[in-house]
Order: sequence, then C-alpha cells, then structure tokens
Amino acid sequence: MKLKRTITIFGLLLLVIAGMFVVTGEVSAQIPPPPSPGIDNQDCLTCHDIPDQRMTLPSGEILFITVKGDSYDASVHGMGGYACVQCHTDITEYPHRELEATTLREFTITMNQSCARCHKEKFDATLDSVHGQALDKGNVEAAVCTDCHGAHNVGPANEPRTRIPHTCERCHSEIYKRYEHSVHGEALIGEGNPDVPTCIDCHGVHNVSGPSTSESFHLSSPLLCAECHADEELMGKYGISTDVFDTYISDFHGTTILFESEIPGQETNKPVCIDCHGVHDMRMVNDPESSVMKENLLTTCQKCHPDANANFPSSWLGHYIPDRNVYPAVFYIETFYKIVIPVMVVGMLIFVISDFIRRYIIGRKERQHV
Amino acid sequence: MSDTQNQNNQVVTSETENNETRFLRFKLSYRIEHWIFITSFSILAVTGLVQKFSGAGISEFIVQALGGIENTRLVHHYAATITMFVALYHVGALFYRLYVLGYRWSMLPWIDDVKAAIGWLRYNFGLRKSPPQEGRYTFGEKFEYWAVVWGTMVMAITGYMMWNPISTTRMLPGEFIPAAKAAHGWEAILAVLAIIIWHFYNVFIRFFNKSMYIGYIDEEEMLEDHPLELADIKAGLASIQLDPKEKARRKRIFWPVYIVIAAIMLAGIYFFISYEETAIATVPPAEDVEVFVPLTPTPLPTPLPTPTPLPTAEDITWESSIAPLFEQKCATCHNSDNGMGGLDLSSYESALAGGNSGPGIVPGDPEASQIIIVQAAGGHPGQVTDDELEAITCWIAEGAPEQ
Repeated sequence: MKLKRTITIFGLLLLVIAGMFVVTGEVSAQIPPPPSPGIDNQDCLTCHDIPDQRMTLPSGEILFITVKGDSYDASVHGMGGYACVQCHTDITEYPHRELEATTLREFTITMNQSCARCHKEKFDATLDSVHGQALDKGNVEAAVCTDCHGAHNVGPANEPRTRIPHTCERCHSEIYKRYEHSVHGEALIGEGNPDVPTCIDCHGVHNVSGPSTSESFHLSSPLLCAECHADEELMGKYGISTDVFDTYISDFHGTTILFESEIPGQETNKPVCIDCHGVHDMRMVNDPESSVMKENLLTTCQKCHPDANANFPSSWLGHYIPDRNVYPAVFYIETFYKIVIPVMVVGMLIFVISDFIRRYIIGRKERQHV
Repeated sequence: MSDTQNQNNQVVTSETENNETRFLRFKLSYRIEHWIFITSFSILAVTGLVQKFSGAGISEFIVQALGGIENTRLVHHYAATITMFVALYHVGALFYRLYVLGYRWSMLPWIDDVKAAIGWLRYNFGLRKSPPQEGRYTFGEKFEYWAVVWGTMVMAITGYMMWNPISTTRMLPGEFIPAAKAAHGWEAILAVLAIIIWHFYNVFIRFFNKSMYIGYIDEEEMLEDHPLELADIKAGLASIQLDPKEKARRKRIFWPVYIVIAAIMLAGIYFFISYEETAIATVPPAEDVEVFVPLTPTPLPTPLPTPTPLPTAEDITWESSIAPLFEQKCATCHNSDNGMGGLDLSSYESALAGGNSGPGIVPGDPEASQIIIVQAAGGHPGQVTDDELEAITCWIAEGAPEQ
C-alpha cells in the first residue's frame, strides 16, 4: 500500500515537472508584468514622441530618444500591447535614473538584456553563437538581438524571407556580395524562390555557427548540403541529381570525411562540398564562373594538388555513377568483377561442398564397416 | 631421420616414430615467409575493406580503434610495403631453388591439373570410382598460388596508381585512377572470399593441415593428396645428388643477377612509397573573405533641421529665437500646465524666475543660469545641440534681451 502511494506521489511529481517544462517552453506566453507603479505607454510618449530628441553621451555620441509611437504600435510588441517599461525596466520614475552607459554601443548591449526576460531560450542560444562568443571576447560590434530584429520596430521574424540576407548584409556585406551572385542568392533575391537556402539555413538562426565557432562545422557541412541535395522531391523540381552526397561519400575524399567528421576537432586535408563548389558563391555547374565547371576544374584541384596536370581532374568521377558512356573503364572493371566474383565463388563452392559431402558419406560408410 | 633429395631435387626429410612416418612439406623459410604474408595480407584486408565499406558500423569502429582514417591508411601502406618485400624475397628464393638447386617447376599449371580438377569433381559426384592422383602440388594448390600471384600484381599496380595519382595521370587518362580504385576494391573482395572459401576449407576443415606450423604432414595425408610424390619418395627416386661444383657455378651466376634485380626492385619499392606528395597537408581556407564589413554609413535617424536659422549673437532675442527653441525642445515638460521641476519656459518672466533649483536665466551671467548649468552637463531629456547652447549662452551674456 505504502509503495503504491509512493508511486502515485512520484508520478504526480513527474507530471508537475513535465508541466513546468511545457509552460516554460512557451516563451512568448511568459509575459512578466510591468514594474509597479504601472507606467502607461502614453506617459512615455508624451515626451518621447516629440521629433528629434537626443542626448549626448559622455563619448560625444548622440543617442536619439524619440520613439515614433505609430512605428512602435505596428511592431510585434506594439500589436501585442506590451508596455515600454517591460523592456525599459530601469525607467520607474521621472526624472529618469541617469544612464550608466557611456557609449551608444554600451547602451544597446545593456538594453539588449531585456530581450532575455521573455525570449530566454533564444537569447541563451545567441550566447553560444559566433556573435555571443565575439561579444564575450570584448568585440562590442558583434550583433545583439536588436541589431537584427530592430528595437522599437521589431517585425515578424523571417517575413519576407528575402529580407534575411539583407539583415546579415548590414555587417557581412562582402559575404553578401558573394551570396547575391550564387545560384542560391540569385534564386532568392532575384526570383523570391523560397526553396533555396539563405544565410540562416546553413548557419542557424540564434545559435549562429560557422567554422570559427564549431570545429566540426567544416567537416560536417556535407550533411548540411545533403539536407536539400539528397531530398528527391525538392531536387526533382529542378532536375538536380540526388546522388551527389552518396557519390561524394563513395569517393576517396568523401570516405575520409565520413570517418573524420565523427571526431571532434579533427583536422583534414580532404575537401568537403564547399571547398570545390564555393562557400557563399556556389554557382550552377554550367555557369562559366563555376569553380567546378570543366574548364575551371583543374584550377580548383590545384588548390590542394599543386602538381596536378590536365588529366588529373577526370580522376574525380564528377558525382557520376559510371556507366557505358560516362567513365566506361570504371564501369567495365566493375562489370568484370561483378561477373567474375560470383562465378569464382560458385565454382569454389561446388568443389568445396561436393568434397565435403563425399568425405562425409565415405567417412560414414567406413564407420559402419568398422 | 633420413635426409634425401627426391626426383625434383627437393629436400625431403621424413622421420619415423612409433611406426608412423611423417614427411617434411615446408622448410622453416617457407613457413616464415607464409606467416609474414598472412600477417600483411590480414592487415591489408582489414584496413582496406573498412575503406571500401565505409558506411558500415564495424568499419567505423575499426577505423577509430586504429586511430582514425589517416592512421588506418598509414597502416595499410606499411602492410603493402611488407607485401612488396615478401614478393621481392619470393622471386629470389624461387629462382634460387629453380636455378641453383635445380628444383623442378612443380608449381607450373599443366593440362594434368585441368584433368585432375574435372576428376575430383566427377569423383565427388560419384561418377568415378577413385580420386585423381596428384604430385607435390595439387590442382587446388596451384590455383591458389597463381591466384595470389595474379592478385598481388593487380593490387600492386592499382595500388601504385592510387598512391601516386599525379604521376599516374602524367602518363594515363585520369579515369584510370577511379578504375584502379574499383579494381583494387573488388580484387580485394575476391581474394578474401577465395581465402575463406577455398584456403580455409582445404587447410582447416577438409583436414587440419599442420604443415605450415610444424612443417610435416603424415603418410595418410600424403597418400590422399600427393600420392605421386609419395610414390617417388618410396621408390627411392628422390635421391639425386647435385654436383657441388655445378652448384657453386650456378651460385656465382645467380647472386650477381639477383642483386641487380633486387636493387631495381628495392628502388621500385622506394619510388612506389615515397615518390609523390599527392596533396598539400592542410586545405586552404575554403573562402578568403573579410567577415565583418558593415554597410556604411550605419543608418541612423537624420536630425531634423532646426526650424529657424540661428541668428547672430547681436540680434538674438527672446521673441525671435529663444522662445521658439524652448517651445520645440523644452515645452513638453516645462510648460505652464505641469512645469516639471517648478520650471515653466513658456514665458520670458517665468523663464527668468526659474524652478526649484534656482533662477533659470540670470541676464548677463550665463554661469549662474540654471538652464546653462543643466544643459552644459548634458544628458538632459530635452537636450539642445552644442550650437543652440552656445546661442543661448551668448544671449544671456548679452543681457538676455526680450525683444
């Protein structure tokens, strides 16, 4: 009886804990109440709606303190009816407490902590990101929430999708220039095609990662590419082969990477997809500027094989599965062994099995004789 | 114990113990060679097949146990080098026996071996009453020996191509490299299957053949597998003396020739394993691009132009400049209705009076005027610009004229 009750209590406890997880999982449902005494947005806007208000910070930089009321109202927070003081928790009275921040950036980074109050999960994810790590190391230019999302004018995330690369462009304009002309960038920016990846599909959203954050980012990147390029439905729309990953893995380079990607921090001198196709500027294989275009392939090979000559590039099967027309020598060698091996095995088995049975029968006869 | 030489001039030692005679099949040198070859073959098979079947879990396990794929390949290359040395030794020992010692070419396949193979098959299926009679090497042993010779050559040639792809493609089309890889992998599977099915059956299951351990097999085994060789030994045809002078002459010819051949082969092995630096050791960064290049200028709200151009110091008056400026910058808080801090800047008189901190404007004395004190400190919610502050200061210094 006692045991049964213990189990019941334990089960209930588990349920409660599970429930807590469910509740905390719903980040946006957790709205902390405004600090007391409640300050209405209208109170703030009495002053802050006046155009062109500014403060000069000790650094000499100008902090604009005008907030366009209608712009805030149109933001996700404005539409949700959130109060200014839910983010500006240091504002409790007038005159306001003096600012501790001495520079504009310091002010932004300090204010940014407010996001964690409601968006803890996403905020924490940013701490491990390439931006969070840079900030930790003292690089104040590293992006914080408001740099991407905006402060008073936070719009719905990822809408429209074409906005995403432009958000990243604000700090990574050189990389953007390459992406813009890649097969993916042209499709997204030029045609609004939602199928192609943009920055966050490879690098992640809040836990933005890259070769500098994760030792295995480079080595495991073929799996990133395979997410789309091994998807038959998606690739079928564009007539792109889904064999690219398997053919890569069965090649010398891919086999090596497959083994090495299991080891954290493993260094390699074998290329992954992006080493040949380009990192942000991968192009269609029939684009004259493609690094894997036949005419350009030798140069690409020579990045790692400086002594390679004109014959060398065709030692890579180019993601093809050999057949009578493409790489016939490989095809015929495989065909040869696919015939010879079964014939040899069957031949040997005929000898071995018949010998075994004959010896067994003779052995039994001899034993019966004795 | 009797040491004799049989018809093939091969040394046959037989010893009799408790009425059981056993026959020396493989001298120690044969056995050592075989065990070295077993070792290198096994290492090659394991370290090679894990690369061919890279997706299998067991392959992953073995590769990690060997310290990663690069180490596995290094071990594979070491074992391949050992195999090349075994081949170098084997060719020398073979021709020493054949030429200097005058052994018969008992390993050469002949039409009799095809007959023996068919004979065994017919015998096994009961189409023939007695088994075929074979000599020192059965058809099965010859088949295996030549399979190993063929396989080793295929593996060496294709292995060279993969080990040295750049020098290979100087002479051959690039396609030969993946073709070599295909042949290398499939030949390995064939070799391993042949060893498991054919060799293991014949030396372990058929009956346990101890000749590669102790060197000898017994009379019963000789009778079953090598009856013709046994007959020769028993008939005393096995003892033919070799003239010592002739042997010495052959040695004098053999050694210089072999030393030259061995030197060439050694050079070949050295070339094989050290010729080419195929690739650079570290892959260059996939992309050479400046990561942080912010768009300039950083878009910030553009300051609104001051509605009225700032007049020069002489004609600044309350009515012309100061009142409109205060209306724009200060009136939200410091107006006649709520007058924060007791300050109302909506009229000249109330501005002079100031608020709780003291007089707002002291004509002729900017430093005593609270407006200047507060604004000069900076950070005020209704902060005026530096130019505006200078204008206000001038105006006060000039006596703060109302009109």
